[in-house]
Amino acid sequence: MRLEDALSRPRQLPRGLLWAALVIALMAQAALRWTTGSMQTGSAAATTPLYISSGKLLRDLSLGYDGLLADIYWTRTVQYFGRERLSGHPRFDQLGPLLRITTTLDPHLIIAYRFGAIFLAEKPPGGAGRPAEALQLLRRGIVANPQYWRLWQDLGFIYYWDLHDYRAAARVFRAGSERPGAEIWMKTLAAAVAAKGGELRTSQVLWAQIYRATEDETVRKSALAHLEALEAAQELQELDKALAFYEKQTGHPASSFKDLVAAGLLRRMPRDPSGTPYMVAPDGKASLGPGSTIDLRLVH
Amino acid sequence: MIHRISSIARHTFKQSVRDKVLYNLIVFAFLLIAASILFGKISVDIQRIILVNLGLTAIAIFGLLIAIFIGISLVWREIDRRTLYNILSKPVARWEFVLGKYLGLLLTLLVNTAIMAAGFYLALFYQDRRFQAQDVASLEAIYFILLELALMVGVALFFSCISSLTLSAVFTFCVFIIGNLLADIRWFGSETHSALVSAITTFLYYLLPNFSLFNVIGSAAHGAPVAGYLLVSRSLYALLYAAILVSASILIFEERELQ
Repeated sequence: MRLEDALSRPRQLPRGLLWAALVIALMAQAALRWTTGSMQTGSAAATTPLYISSGKLLRDLSLGYDGLLADIYWTRTVQYFGRERLSGHPRFDQLGPLLRITTTLDPHLIIAYRFGAIFLAEKPPGGAGRPAEALQLLRRGIVANPQYWRLWQDLGFIYYWDLHDYRAAARVFRAGSERPGAEIWMKTLAAAVAAKGGELRTSQVLWAQIYRATEDETVRKSALAHLEALEAAQELQELDKALAFYEKQTGHPASSFKDLVAAGLLRRMPRDPSGTPYMVAPDGKASLGPGSTIDLRLVH
Repeated sequence: MIHRISSIARHTFKQSVRDKVLYNLIVFAFLLIAASILFGKISVDIQRIILVNLGLTAIAIFGLLIAIFIGISLVWREIDRRTLYNILSKPVARWEFVLGKYLGLLLTLLVNTAIMAAGFYLALFYQDRRFQAQDVASLEAIYFILLELALMVGVALFFSCISSLTLSAVFTFCVFIIGNLLADIRWFGSETHSALVSAITTFLYYLLPNFSLFNVIGSAAHGAPVAGYLLVSRSLYALLYAAILVSASILIFEERELQ
């Protein structure tokens, strides 16, 4: 190249080199982001704080697009609940505020009331153990959606299951049964709760209704766990009676259920709903066998 | 007269197409597909509600952005490029020019919204492999979005006639934000217990366009239909207010000295 040419031609940028630099810079920033991100995954990053806790303010800030914001907050609630449950030491401090924001942004988001109430009320570690907050949430839901009778069912359920206030539960089930479109079993349920509140069979009917009605997998699993625990509790009661009868007949306590099978009091070795054989505890009472997945704390 | 106005409207529409305004449809389609897949995986039981909320919000926001950014440059651009003098040297009245520009942008938004609405309904059908009776509510919400856009174009056009491009954008955004918070502003005014402040906020409440009247996306997501009297009264409100804005723009533009 002559000097004259070199001076007259505008200097070209080395494009290949620039592209390579661009790609490297992109990869470097991603690596940096990844490094700082993994440094944050300790307890500090586990829970994102609620910078704005007022649903009303958020609704104003959304400039009318509060429906979409409610969906985002609902998704955030679900993610928060799941993350806390898996954390091993759940606190659920933000569950109530998140649900309040979600339902203020969209007062007709029924799933938020129903899901929220169950998991606010459920005892730790499965839920937040705050039935009073669950009642508040459902009452707000009923005011915003007076035609939706299932919220009455949920309200009655919390009175029954978590607060053991059977009179209030019966009253709520009866009020719910009078809502338009309410199914007939709500009246039966009201009567059953009023007459036999606290009995395992009544609780079984309630959980079976929830199991049948829900389309949500998390709620379904929870209902199933409760149903299995209730079934096991009933079977343990029956097995205790059989053990007492055996002791009365033979004059000595049974060391295992094999003794009862041999005596013809049981047809086969009893198993709990998870398939694990029951055992006779050192105190002579029937109990769950080792490895059983049944959680009897759900019953009490 | 009608021929001249429609020519300007057609030209404005073609100009928008040439400016690749309709490219936003690709972003809309991508957003709708990606978000429905993402939210379907991480949320619980509200996939359809999310799709309706997201789809309708996207239709409204894309429309509003086009209305604002194209609206504020409707008149300014013709002056800046000096094409306005060419147009006005022909037998075209100034009011015909302004009205044609307004209708042209409305046509652009109508086509854009119609295509997005078709995509949105396609996504709804894809999700459940069928339509539901409550999907009619989304159509009503789209109609309300169009009314809102008609107002927004009017606001942008008005500021385009009296101010520079940047200031027009700022003013138009401000009117949109205030127009969504009018009820709160009036309430704040009454809470001050000052007769003067209360009177000012009440005056603003009745003077400025109330955009919150046109947002029914939340209820559409739950399939709640809009009452017939609301459809009529809000259509009349939008028509009346848009007519006021276009008339005010024409009056200002008629008085304006063009050099």
